[in-house]
Amino acid sequence: MKLIVNCETGEVIERELNKEEKDQQKIDQIAFDLEQKAKEAEAEAKAAKKAALLERLGITQEEANLLLG
Amino acid sequence: MAKQTFTTGQVLTAAQMTSLQQTAMGGGSATAKTTSYVLVAADAGTTVAMNAAGSTTITVNTGLFSAGDTVFIQNWGAGTCTITAGTATVSTHGSLALSQYEGGQLYFTSSSAAIFFDISQTTGMTNPMTTTGDTIYSSSGSTPARLGIGSTGQVLTVAGGVPSWATPASGGGMTLISEQTASGNTAINFTSISSSYKQLLLVYSGLYQSTADGAYVLRLNNSSSSVYVDQGQLIDGTSASTDYATRTCIGDDIIGFRNSSTTLYNTSSGFVIIDNYSSSTKVKTYSANARYFDNNASAKRAYIYTGFFNDTTAVTSVDIVRRSGTGTLNNLTNTSIRLYGIS
Repeated sequence: MKLIVNCETGEVIERELNKEEKDQQKIDQIAFDLEQKAKEAEAEAKAAKKAALLERLGITQEEANLLLG
Repeated sequence: MAKQTFTTGQVLTAAQMTSLQQTAMGGGSATAKTTSYVLVAADAGTTVAMNAAGSTTITVNTGLFSAGDTVFIQNWGAGTCTITAGTATVSTHGSLALSQYEGGQLYFTSSSAAIFFDISQTTGMTNPMTTTGDTIYSSSGSTPARLGIGSTGQVLTVAGGVPSWATPASGGGMTLISEQTASGNTAINFTSISSSYKQLLLVYSGLYQSTADGAYVLRLNNSSSSVYVDQGQLIDGTSASTDYATRTCIGDDIIGFRNSSTTLYNTSSGFVIIDNYSSSTKVKTYSANARYFDNNASAKRAYIYTGFFNDTTAVTSVDIVRRSGTGTLNNLTNTSIRLYGIS
């Protein structure tokens, strides 16, 4: 349900989303999913780079944290 | 007693001494005149009283009095008694027209000139006040005017060069435009926002979702265009990162992302300030501070964003919108979403 507040009159109405709003939600959802996939891919790539670097240095994550701390 | 010329060896009686004393003290017995009267030499040092129902005059002529002579003039009657300069000159700061019970002293500076010292209560400014709280001001030069008391809360100001009471302009405060509570909503729109404020402030607390899968964002004018340009700091648990982007909403899911906890400190809360929102020529600056618990990731998240609504259109609506998931938005008991206007 959508809550619409008319700040000029104080009138408050609650109604179901109309078609245009539902379509916008679908667009938002698609954009959100793409954004999340991009974020996940970026996080995975970052983790992979990190793991490769740790392996090349021959240290664990905890040891790396100690070095950086 | 009239002015006397004493001679050597003259003996004064007790009655004469008493009369002399009365005259010296500004009094002295007087037989009131009932018609217009012309002062005579024997009036020097005496009291001349007028008691008539109609208008009368007391005329002052030259050659009768010496410098230093005085005549105390009183009007007992209802008719106005006017001291009239006959052949002598009569000056005064007050009025020569004496109403009932008014009077004054006529003092001769020479045989042909006198000054009337008006000691009437109405001498000087006529009191224009009529009501409790009235004040007096000069409407022009030395002309007094009444300023009636203003209303409660009014302040004294100047308009057109004279003082007046006016209601002070509102300013420097916050006005609660609307307060709402979410209950199973997927969107909350504050619309038709007045342009009379300088800034808008949205404050929310206690928001949670029915299921931990929704992403709620804040938009202006319900715009889903990529016009939100901001940079933020995300504190995720104990680690922090920066976040810069051009987005379709203010910040990154600042109203809540997958937060379904109904424990108060885990709910979504924060505030957003939007500056210059009513401008139709400039982009708008916003600043957001938000926090919530991501139940899905079991992580406490906090955001600080500052950015721009890169649109010159005046903002007339502030919109909370779900852009992902199925969870609906709710307020815990005793929490709400409030929109303020800052003057």
